[in-house]
Amino acid sequence: MGGKVSCTLGEVKNRADLIVYWGGNPAECHPRHFTKYSLMPKGRFVPNGRKDRTMILVDIRETASAKAADIFLQVRPAKDFEMITVLRALIKEQPVDTKLVAETGLTLEELTDFAQRLKKAKFGVFFFGMGLSMTRGKHMNSAALLTLAAELNAFTKFVAMPMRGHGNVTGGDVIMRWTTGYPFGVNLARGYPRFNPGEYSTIDLLIRGDTDAVLVLGADPGATMPQPAIDHMVRVPTIVLDPKVTHTSKIARVHITTAVTGISAPGTAYRMDEIPLPLKPPLKSPYPTDEEVIRRIYQAVAKKPPLMPPVRPKVPRV
Amino acid sequence: MELTVTKDATCTFCGCVCDDIELHSDGTKITNTKAACVLGKSWFLNHTAERLYPDALIDGKEATVDEAVEAAAEYLYLAHLPLVYGLSNITCEAQRESVALAELIGGVVDSHTSL
Repeated sequence: MGGKVSCTLGEVKNRADLIVYWGGNPAECHPRHFTKYSLMPKGRFVPNGRKDRTMILVDIRETASAKAADIFLQVRPAKDFEMITVLRALIKEQPVDTKLVAETGLTLEELTDFAQRLKKAKFGVFFFGMGLSMTRGKHMNSAALLTLAAELNAFTKFVAMPMRGHGNVTGGDVIMRWTTGYPFGVNLARGYPRFNPGEYSTIDLLIRGDTDAVLVLGADPGATMPQPAIDHMVRVPTIVLDPKVTHTSKIARVHITTAVTGISAPGTAYRMDEIPLPLKPPLKSPYPTDEEVIRRIYQAVAKKPPLMPPVRPKVPRV
Repeated sequence: MELTVTKDATCTFCGCVCDDIELHSDGTKITNTKAACVLGKSWFLNHTAERLYPDALIDGKEATVDEAVEAAAEYLYLAHLPLVYGLSNITCEAQRESVALAELIGGVVDSHTSL
């Protein structure tokens, strides 16, 4: 997602007067997002907190988050991309196909009002969840919304931010970007990084049977992935590092118990707006940390003969 | 057991990574949380420093960490295309080590982002 127009949650707190949640349910999945970062806090340019902000929720059903919203727009399932495309046309005052508008499950009046609100905001923000990025269209939906946010900057200040689920999943993106240049699904088999989602992404690799060993770090794919992917993890040697014996540990050849991130293992974690925060573990674990175990596996592999022969020294010219 | 209070602790349950949590612990368990949401509270209260699981398992049998590290290294070394997957519930420092390991074993490194 190069070129993402984004900001920190501190800027949202201090500036945002229009908050749009798209395909996410923060009331149940990120319970403190409203109160700590987006909707409720009093900020420098929104001194009255909630009263100075408008919240719009776009989702396929009325979730618990709809209660917090001023406007709820119920998009027809799998029609997010169409809705974003209509909005992109409307903000530029282009004519839109009424058939395409009807497909979204919303009326032209509702969408025109939404487009006007987007343009009139002093500082707007899209928070998009997996309801947008994991449904039909997948990353094309996210790309469309990021483009809409970028285009809205012709009229006002507008940003977009994904609502990340797992604790340090943002850190994974940042660390891989920093070390390899790509955010996820990086193939290092040739000694240099290659990036191709769909080819080097986990589920695709497992379902096609391309990989012949799996090291699982702080995840439980054995409980969450499609059955053919799990079947492949049973077939090849799987190694799990986790604070608990998980479903994946039960199908794995090797399991190593590790300390719990942030509870008994120190380190750093990235917030969804890419702000790194130090962890303050209150407990001391009887188990080693993930960091330590991974480093020990690295050292054990490094002792073996190299996978590729060393480069032959150049013969000096006479 | 001595009660300790950790102020401004960081919760890593969801992507909000709230860093204003107060934790009360007795050395083995977290007994109380302040400012955490329902998800954060259950995250903190359900993880203890007790030894509830074996150090390591190889083919379902208990093993030492040393043996497990060697076995893991051997499997990863022998594989043509090993996959390093997850990374979302570990620290940035551990993620850095994972990328280094993936480079050494000539594998693919991927996170929950690709799901």
